[in-house]
Amino acid sequence: MATTYRRTPTKAELRRQRMEELVNYPLDWLEERSGLVGGVRYFLFRNVPSDVNWMQTLGSAALTAFLVQAITGVILAMYYTPSASTDPATGKPVAWESIVNITDHVTMGWLVRGMHKWGASVFIILMFLHMGRVFLFGAYKYPRELNWIVGVLILVMGMMEGFTGYLLPWDQTAYWASVVGINLNGTAPFLGPWLAQFLRGGQEIGGETLTRFYSLHMLVIPAAIIGLITLHLYLVIRLGVTSPPWSKEAAGMEPEEEEPVTARPGLTRPVPRTAGGTAMQAEPGGRD
Amino acid sequence: MAAIPKEKPSRIDEARAQFARYKADVKARGKPFYPYAMFHDTIMSLVVVCVIIGLAAMWKWSAWGPGHDPTHKGLLGPEVDPPADPGTTSFVPRPDWYFYFLFYLLRIFKWPESVFLGTIGVPTIALILLIGLPFLDRRRERRLSARPVAMVAAVLTVLSMAVLTWKGATANEALASEVIADVPHWVQVENLPSNALPGAKLFATAGCTACHTYAGAGGSNLGAPDLTDIGTRNLGIDFQIRHLQCPSCVNPGSPMPHFASLGNERLHQLAVFLEASKGAH
Ligand code: HEC
Ligand code: HEM
Repeated sequence: MATTYRRTPTKAELRRQRMEELVNYPLDWLEERSGLVGGVRYFLFRNVPSDVNWMQTLGSAALTAFLVQAITGVILAMYYTPSASTDPATGKPVAWESIVNITDHVTMGWLVRGMHKWGASVFIILMFLHMGRVFLFGAYKYPRELNWIVGVLILVMGMMEGFTGYLLPWDQTAYWASVVGINLNGTAPFLGPWLAQFLRGGQEIGGETLTRFYSLHMLVIPAAIIGLITLHLYLVIRLGVTSPPWSKEAAGMEPEEEEPVTARPGLTRPVPRTAGGTAMQAEPGGRD
Repeated sequence: MAAIPKEKPSRIDEARAQFARYKADVKARGKPFYPYAMFHDTIMSLVVVCVIIGLAAMWKWSAWGPGHDPTHKGLLGPEVDPPADPGTTSFVPRPDWYFYFLFYLLRIFKWPESVFLGTIGVPTIALILLIGLPFLDRRRERRLSARPVAMVAAVLTVLSMAVLTWKGATANEALASEVIADVPHWVQVENLPSNALPGAKLFATAGCTACHTYAGAGGSNLGAPDLTDIGTRNLGIDFQIRHLQCPSCVNPGSPMPHFASLGNERLHQLAVFLEASKGAH
């Protein structure tokens, strides 16, 4: 980022210039070797429709809720013991005791567990609200069909995360809800009994079930969700977000419906209605 | 490359043209994500984090009761319920709230042959419709007033989910403490012999009534049959015990949980009670 001077630069100016180069050096280094800086810059400074609405913050709100779950979950995993065996000293199951210990004795443990417990509900609610917004906006239509499907998969995974997490405190509610839930899976034809057997890890719900649910809850499903969210966000950035359908200046509106084009100086209309296919060939993949 | 002129552009051509227009519009008169949209996103995210912390705090301050009993119930429920106990006496199968709609769906399909519909059938169909939505609704139209079918479907979906969730939340679980009060009534209407009494008490407390109805008590769930006159089928003590130990071993596909952990003596008592239940008079 060298500055050019019409006259000989003063000492102060030269020092300033060297400072700037020093600060930019790591970024330039990274950019030259990865292109990541350009990527982030594209993400931040890409245009979105000028009429985006508050409802369109629900997706990033869901992302925030997911991050809260991930962070609090990692902390909980440091203190939680997924064991259904009985602690000989107290006669209580080890998993249940570790939950009570986290909530009552670990510093700020109640906050971490409370945020994880209630954050789960908030996450599910936000996913449903976000899905409702996408439906309302008709934003699942061409070319965003694939992103809708990715979204539905995230929703299903999110609910499975809730189901597997519910058992972990190993209390009465948790245990019996899982008994019923697993038996429900068992009623499905063909795969049902096999799936129920797999989830239980045996004939009865016990220690094997708990460790299985724990591994699904903290490894398998979160990894799947992270992968799906990455794909989801990639598609959002590539395809852009939709204008509210009721907006007077919705991006991509039919030419006939608009005010005369002259009312908006500087607006280019490279695509006449009948030449859509050509326009897409000129702009491969619709990238801008 | 010149396009071959067409009489009328196909649907996909029109959609492509619209998307190209969208891209051009956003480029020409959109606004940069940072700082505009990102500002709103940040505020919303802060609200979300505050709500989550607020819920956690409300849960703690109202539940941490006198004597620091972890099972004390506050505004948002207890810190934790009593430890899991497979040989339990109070069975309250309650999933987390976002499964209430499924939970209630099961009660609608109570007849054994149709349980499969409630547990797997309806949810699977709903999921397929949800995934297939972009292919069912292929018009380009996005304005609400021009999508009456979509809007009606949305309102009906939201309403039915809300009703199912509400019914699931308020569904009366048969609680052991309430059901056991019915035992003398059972003895009377069913004319139970005295050796069936221990089994009747077990039946009331072991959670059977969470799925089965008996002489008007309990709630039906998962397609479990009414057991008021189960004895008239003369299935036999042995069969009853084997069924309780492993329901799906004798009735393939049964969603009823295993009760082997109750122990042979209690299973025998239950079997005697079931066989003595010849119907209410
Ligand atoms: C989670 C729900 C559930 C619970 C709890 C439950 N059952 Fe069942 N029960 C069912 C279902 C579903 C069926 C029908 C399928 C079958 O026959 O196994 C059934 C069937 C039965 C039958 C009829 C068997 C036959 O062959 O017709 C008996 C008897 C019975 N249960 C007794 C009990 C007793 C006693 C308890 C308590 C210890 C109990 N059940 C708890 C769901 C349940
Ligand atoms: C973890 C859960 C999810 C996260 C983090 C997430 C994130 C996002 C974000 C940040 C956006 C950008 C625009 C906006 O915020 O509205 C978006 C758009 C979108 N989401 Fe999601 N989403 C999630 C779940 C879902 C679900 C459940 C669906 C639907 C089934 C869905 C379908 C879509 C679609 C189709 C778009 C494009 C919308 C448009 O172009 O206007 N997403 N998502």
